[in-house]
Amino acid sequence: MQITFENVSYRYAVGTPFEKAALHGLSFTIPSGAYVGIIGQTGSGKSTMIQHLNGLIKPTEGSVQVGTWRISADTKVPAQMRKEVGLVFQYPEHQLFEETVAKDVSFGPLNFGATPEEALELGRTALDLVGLPFEEFKDRSPFQLSGGQMRRVAIAGVLAMQPKALVLDEPTAGLDPAGRREILDNIYQIHQERQLTTLLVTHSMEEAARYADLLLVMADGKVAMMGEPADVFAQSERLRELSLDVPASVDFLTKLNEQLPPDKQLPASLYREEEVLKALLQRLTQRREASL
Amino acid sequence: MNFLQNFAIGQYVPRDSFVHRLDPRSKLLFLLFFTLLVFWANNWFSYGLLLCFLFMVTAASRIPGVYLLRGLKPVWFMLVITVILHLLITKGGAVYVQWGWFSIEQAGVQQAIYMAFRLGALVTMGALLTLTTTPMDLTDGLERLLAPLKRFNVPVHELALMLSIAMRFIPTLLEETDKIIKAQKARGVDFETGPLIQRAKHMIPIVIPLFVGAFRRAEELALAMEARGYRGGEGRTRLRQLHLSWRDTLLAGIAILLGVLMGWWRE
Repeated sequence: MQITFENVSYRYAVGTPFEKAALHGLSFTIPSGAYVGIIGQTGSGKSTMIQHLNGLIKPTEGSVQVGTWRISADTKVPAQMRKEVGLVFQYPEHQLFEETVAKDVSFGPLNFGATPEEALELGRTALDLVGLPFEEFKDRSPFQLSGGQMRRVAIAGVLAMQPKALVLDEPTAGLDPAGRREILDNIYQIHQERQLTTLLVTHSMEEAARYADLLLVMADGKVAMMGEPADVFAQSERLRELSLDVPASVDFLTKLNEQLPPDKQLPASLYREEEVLKALLQRLTQRREASL
Repeated sequence: MNFLQNFAIGQYVPRDSFVHRLDPRSKLLFLLFFTLLVFWANNWFSYGLLLCFLFMVTAASRIPGVYLLRGLKPVWFMLVITVILHLLITKGGAVYVQWGWFSIEQAGVQQAIYMAFRLGALVTMGALLTLTTTPMDLTDGLERLLAPLKRFNVPVHELALMLSIAMRFIPTLLEETDKIIKAQKARGVDFETGPLIQRAKHMIPIVIPLFVGAFRRAEELALAMEARGYRGGEGRTRLRQLHLSWRDTLLAGIAILLGVLMGWWRE
């Protein structure tokens, strides 16, 4: 589903001494089926922005168009919108509450009117999707799982609603590198299989580079940059101004190119780790063959 | 759900004002004294004096009056009940409305106004104390004031610590509640409509994660405190000392003046 922000502003705690503007006139469009990386420093408004996507907060000014719904300051949020846009918060394992994993995962579908059997079936599919075998985990208490497993259960709880768009707020915070990679690969696979529109909020440029087709860089409640990863990473100066970095792979490539004569440089449009590695290997094999 | 934004009691509003800079001990003692005065007052003059004083304190604290009133929301209900009860029950003096056995009389109206004022003044003063004093200062002040009780084996330090931890975590837990509510809303829980039992059931997905989170926090806090060598109050020194200043002397003067005027004007 296509997502469009039109001049969206949001203020917290209007009319109290704590009033604070969080978003200033955001405008952008995310095409249906895109995988978007949302980057920005803490306090840049990422978390506030994504809560507009399923109507948890409504814009103070402007409007948000999600699929066929248009939400502005005084719209009533349709219940169906929460189902279609699955929102996974930071540390989603803090929302677990049921006695068993199966019950917790089918909580969402039940709220949207599924019968208990349907909900259980949706829960089974969702658990399998995040790589937790249903039969093994269904009767265990969510509070006895490891941190990574708890997070998967929580993500499955949102996937079980069969959303058309998936929004994740730093799904890898506090996990070890292997766990991060695994969860993100998993999400990417689900994104492709279900043809979801996926928004991934992250601090890590590497994570954004690996999966996203589109990057949205936020700073001070505004859109600072938006475009394809290669274009965004090409403006490393601007990123540094925003106290952000380019991915290590881009950094490496830039430094390498500085050492090479102009006619032997690697294409600067590469940014994914694997791509850089491949180009490099290719070059090295060529050289060896040439010297033979 | 915006109780987060309406919760004024126990929420410190940083400003640079006369009231903010008073020593917490004098503020606490003054609140006690003011409470006595409120119950001592017994005619229009004395109540008027206290009301004027309340306005002056609010102005001196530089806390927006609208915000203070909004913070009193939770007690509006009690206030209204008090007024209605006194209007109906207290009899005496001229009769204003007579309708069968039901009547509103002069003494009732007067008593209703007095009582409403008492309640309102006390809550406002209490709110002003917490709005202008950081929880840290407040518990420090309380601990120092209660220190003499240590001789009678009252665990003053521990009580003060418990109080300060509790106050410190009010905003944190509110924020956490807000987050959990949002997360469960995102999973389709509808808190606003439906029959009462249904809505009560919807508290479970909030309360359980909140408890789990509170225990987790408590454990982490205990660990962090022990890691930094906390062993209770014995021989503990303070980073920030409380100092009395000319402001507190002035407050004492104001208190005496207020007491004398009250004694003069009350009947």
